[in-house]
Amino acid sequence: MQPHKIASVSDIPPGERKIVVVDGKQIGVFRIDDEFYAFRNICPHAFAPVCRGRLEGCVTSDGPHHIEYDKKTTILMCPWHLWEFDIKTGRSLVDPKLRLKRYDVYVKDGEVFVIV
Amino acid sequence: MDGRGDDGTVTEGVGKYSKPFDIIDVDVHNSWNEKVLAKYLPEPWRTETLERGRRRVNTGLAHFYAANPEIGSPTRNTEALVESLFDAYLPKYVYRYGILTGSDYNFSALPNPDYAAALARAYNDLTLEMDDWYGHDPRFKFAMWVTHQDPLLAAKEIDRLAGHPNIVVVMMPAAGRFPLGQRHYYPIYEAAEHHGLPVAIHPAGNEGGGISNPPSSAGYPTTMLEWHTCLPQMYMGHLVSLLCEGVFERFPKLKFGMIEGGVSWLIHLMWRIDREYKALRRETPWIKRRPSEYIFEHVRFGTQPLDEPNNPKHLAEIYEMMGADRLLMYSSDLPHYDFDPPNSKFLQVLPEEMQRRIFYDNAAEFYGLPSRGELNASEGDVSSRATS
Repeated sequence: MQPHKIASVSDIPPGERKIVVVDGKQIGVFRIDDEFYAFRNICPHAFAPVCRGRLEGCVTSDGPHHIEYDKKTTILMCPWHLWEFDIKTGRSLVDPKLRLKRYDVYVKDGEVFVIV
Repeated sequence: MDGRGDDGTVTEGVGKYSKPFDIIDVDVHNSWNEKVLAKYLPEPWRTETLERGRRRVNTGLAHFYAANPEIGSPTRNTEALVESLFDAYLPKYVYRYGILTGSDYNFSALPNPDYAAALARAYNDLTLEMDDWYGHDPRFKFAMWVTHQDPLLAAKEIDRLAGHPNIVVVMMPAAGRFPLGQRHYYPIYEAAEHHGLPVAIHPAGNEGGGISNPPSSAGYPTTMLEWHTCLPQMYMGHLVSLLCEGVFERFPKLKFGMIEGGVSWLIHLMWRIDREYKALRRETPWIKRRPSEYIFEHVRFGTQPLDEPNNPKHLAEIYEMMGADRLLMYSSDLPHYDFDPPNSKFLQVLPEEMQRRIFYDNAAEFYGLPSRGELNASEGDVSSRATS
């Protein structure tokens, strides 16, 4: 496990992502506001390139037929089967035991590092 | 397999089992006479019914539901029922309770909500009064009927009769205008939950007639064979509606029974809805768990009509997959042409504990009847009955 410089902060604007290859593994690095998150580009469901999925707010509810849209929570939606994962944890919204492979990310001197 | 004599009765004891099977039969049809029923209707419908008969809608198909005269019509002849049901399968099967679910209650497809509700109310009054005339047999419990064209009228009827010691369930016909999860029906669920009564559905027998939807999503069938085979579609539609609309989030203590819709389709439905939910959760964010979990917590199913594969063990495999030991309640549907006796080979192939749960425990929990342990405590060892 060691840090790999994958981009400069300015390469990834807020709400964007970059998919890089580190040690032969495809890894999606996402920027939400000023936080960075990194996941293996494989969906645990059917091995889809999950990091290519849409980033959206989270639809929530406090009871039947009440729908709210939580813009503060960002969901990564798998492009193949629409499964939703919380970008902060990589956990599936419907099955918390199911999660994306997550990597630590940090920023130093304007550069983004992923620990792989 | 049981040994059966020439007259069809069981001749062996409890077979390989150490004790008999206690039974709650959750679907036994008692019948009523239209002229007598009329007396319980308010005017002008009483006179109308006496002079011109009850208003009916039907499928336009031949129906073979008529009670088998060999078996008898329970409320008119309770002895016939006891003989054909309670006594017929001794000593291996000991009937503890039969839930009398009435008959010919095709009022949910009638267009006039007031007339339909009056008919259901008259049916309830007649049933309870006939029970008094014949002397109540404590092995009988009753379904009260409501119809859902106007759910507020149904809730009023539930408020009127809830608390009657022999009413254990609110039943309503499966035929209707909307899937049963929609909020149109909330007053019924609210009243039932408030009074601690489960709600159950049963085919009206006229699905596709009157104001109800086609019995199959493909359209109107042309034969009874097609109609009856496709009935599970309606049950699937209702169950998925209950789950997706969040009825069990809105009414967390509600219990829901699905009687006479079969069950083998359930494993497909659970797998399918759980899968769909993973992709489409955002449409129904009020569903907080996998949809199938709500089924286990809130919904129970009558076994009849049993599917009959060439190899009965295949049915046992399906039951194992779906968790049938927690979900199913034995129902005979006596005295109809497609009834399932308790000694059906399609039940005998099940593991013993699953049989005991299906024959008794699941229904006892659902209808609030004494547990097997409580029965035995109040009567001593039941197994003594098997050898007496």
